[in-house]
Amino acid sequence: MKPNTNTSPIRTAILFVPLLALSAAALSASDPVIDSRPLDLPSGESVVERVNARHDGVTLTRDLTMKLIDRRGKERKRETRGFRKYFGDEKRTAIFYLSPNNIRDTAFLTYDYAQADRDDDQWLYLPALRKVRRISASDRGDYFLGTDFTYEDIKKESKIAAEDYRFRTLRADSVDGHTVWVVEATPISEEVAKELGYGRVVLWVDAKIWISRLTEFWDTRGEPLKTTRSLEIREIDGIWTSHRLEVDHHQTEHRTIFTFSEVQYDLEIDDNLFTEGSLRRGL
Amino acid sequence: MRSQIPRPIPTRVVTAWVLASVFAWATLAAPAAPSATDSDARPERPEIRHSISWHWALSLDPARARDPEQDDAAGGSRYQSFELSWNPELDWQLGPGTRLHGSMRLRADAFDRLVPGRISGLEAASIHQPLELGDRTELELRELYLETQQGEIWWTLGKQQIVWGKADGLKVLDVVNPQDFREFILEDFESSRIPLWAVRAEVPIGPWALEAFWIPDRTYHRLPEAGALFEITSPRLVPSPPPGIPVDVEPARRPDGFFSDSDAGFRLSRFLAGWDLTFNYLYHYADTPVPERTLEHSEVGPKVIVSPTYQRTHLVGGTFANTFGDLTLRGEVGYTTDRYVNVTDLADPDGIERSGELAWVVGVDGYGFTDTVWSVQLFRNRLTDAPEGLPFESGETRLSGLLRRTFLNERLTAELLWLHDLDLDDGLARAEVRFDWTDTLRLEVGIDVFYGDPDGIFGQFDSRDRLVIGGSWSP
Repeated sequence: MKPNTNTSPIRTAILFVPLLALSAAALSASDPVIDSRPLDLPSGESVVERVNARHDGVTLTRDLTMKLIDRRGKERKRETRGFRKYFGDEKRTAIFYLSPNNIRDTAFLTYDYAQADRDDDQWLYLPALRKVRRISASDRGDYFLGTDFTYEDIKKESKIAAEDYRFRTLRADSVDGHTVWVVEATPISEEVAKELGYGRVVLWVDAKIWISRLTEFWDTRGEPLKTTRSLEIREIDGIWTSHRLEVDHHQTEHRTIFTFSEVQYDLEIDDNLFTEGSLRRGL
Repeated sequence: MRSQIPRPIPTRVVTAWVLASVFAWATLAAPAAPSATDSDARPERPEIRHSISWHWALSLDPARARDPEQDDAAGGSRYQSFELSWNPELDWQLGPGTRLHGSMRLRADAFDRLVPGRISGLEAASIHQPLELGDRTELELRELYLETQQGEIWWTLGKQQIVWGKADGLKVLDVVNPQDFREFILEDFESSRIPLWAVRAEVPIGPWALEAFWIPDRTYHRLPEAGALFEITSPRLVPSPPPGIPVDVEPARRPDGFFSDSDAGFRLSRFLAGWDLTFNYLYHYADTPVPERTLEHSEVGPKVIVSPTYQRTHLVGGTFANTFGDLTLRGEVGYTTDRYVNVTDLADPDGIERSGELAWVVGVDGYGFTDTVWSVQLFRNRLTDAPEGLPFESGETRLSGLLRRTFLNERLTAELLWLHDLDLDDGLARAEVRFDWTDTLRLEVGIDVFYGDPDGIFGQFDSRDRLVIGGSWSP
């Protein structure tokens, strides 16, 4: 499916956003990229660098409602509470399922290391077994607990693993009235593409707040895979934050809608929340 | 069938009814459960949930399928069970870091073949035993504990499950709580594990996490009695009497000291250089009684007296887990200091000998295929001081395999599980499909097939193959 960049009011009202955009630091009005002429395209690497350099708080807590909608419109709903904290360069994320009852108390923990050559560590608590399972982080392209986001998407939030792609800025564009840079990302190797499940990604990155408002994914065979839109972007504690993410999976016709609430940055979070014991105890 | 003799209402019955009434009141009187985003209201409101599950097990044994009227003492009907279970749960956040959790189970079986007689009361302490409501229904307090954080320490006080180990379906260290074997090992551990009254503390110590507990609850395995569908008959587990000699089995002698016979243990955990590591220690009574045997001579001839007793042991062990690319390596090892085994020598004064036992399991999980997990585990145990005159080999080796794949964004799950004893060449194969029709309604269908030597652990149930149709509703 080709991305729609029509700027009519109706369409632009619902269009365009990034990967798992959650948050983004605001840019100052004197940003040199914004000030430059549209034809002076920044390099893809520099755009991605700005996306990844966004301040997104040392800690983050938020509630997340997931809606999973199949091709016949049947809807499933999950409610979670998530926590994220930076330990230096290392990012730790914990997600606790609150409902529905049949998956309540399931919990997911990941340690995302800054070193590109170090695999992340991931754990999943399964209440039916009452055990924390160590799970491989290498199959990053697997879909996360029934959603249309992959484990990699969930882990990176709105950021992009720069080491996995080559980038090229295609053009400047406008999404919902916002100036964006359209950046193409191509996996650096077939092996990485297979791991990620993506053969090509195109991002419509807001040139002011450095969030991708729309992201198109193709699979490793070059077929359209899914479209992610980041919506309801608002500033919280000085950090631009997307409160709604929508994914349309073109091959399965499955949809996922993430709605974030109670988003709070830089609250004090106990380090012990990011441990196996905490997964077992739950919230 | 269970006894119909009226008996006085014991304290535990009253206690169970009081708890049931509290649950019922809470269900009716409590406001709606708070939403996930309603964090301010959460500490003040009890959250009540409940689920209803059912499963219908039909025998796959061809002879019984042809003749539905066949109905021998061992449950030789086409129908093995039809169970309905109601499971209310309560969570009450009493304040920051303090939570009360409770759960009960009301379970009824239309055929009464799994537990055709009353639970003898020998395996269960009086504060724990389920309340029987007629022959086919029981009400059980599953869990009731207060969890609270005091400084750095997390306390869990009350009836609870303490689960150790990294293995699936094979137990080396997951022996803190006893188990109900009414369906052998076919029932989910979550359901068959018997919660115990315990005091547990968890505290971080630098990079380590320490979990320590004390268990005054003297409840042990519930083993099916004679005539039950899954009565254990394998001579490897139940000693055979000498031919031609009558046998008297005495009631099991349970430890009765509240303090002196309690269990205690601890687990030290650490994440180190990519490895999840634990060191475990447990001082406890083994949950299976030891059948001490004495030979008596009387005017009518010799007679064997079997006196089941529970014996203490130390268990020392550890677990590990790490990932390597697509693979997860995990395992656990445990050494039991006092394992009692039967010997065949009739001259032996009690017919049992003591030995140490080393057991380990190592497993590999594979995540390399989309939406698919496979797993292989190798289990081995052996007696370290095997006495003379053992009726069987001093060790066992088992292999397990699991293949699970999800479809339709995890609405549909298909699973194959295989357990095989390499020494006896018997085993169990299971296949199951689960479908989440909605968020609240799950449907399941599966088959369980035993095979091999009828004296084997699995082969003894060769005629208990079954088709299971079930589901659950969790509003």
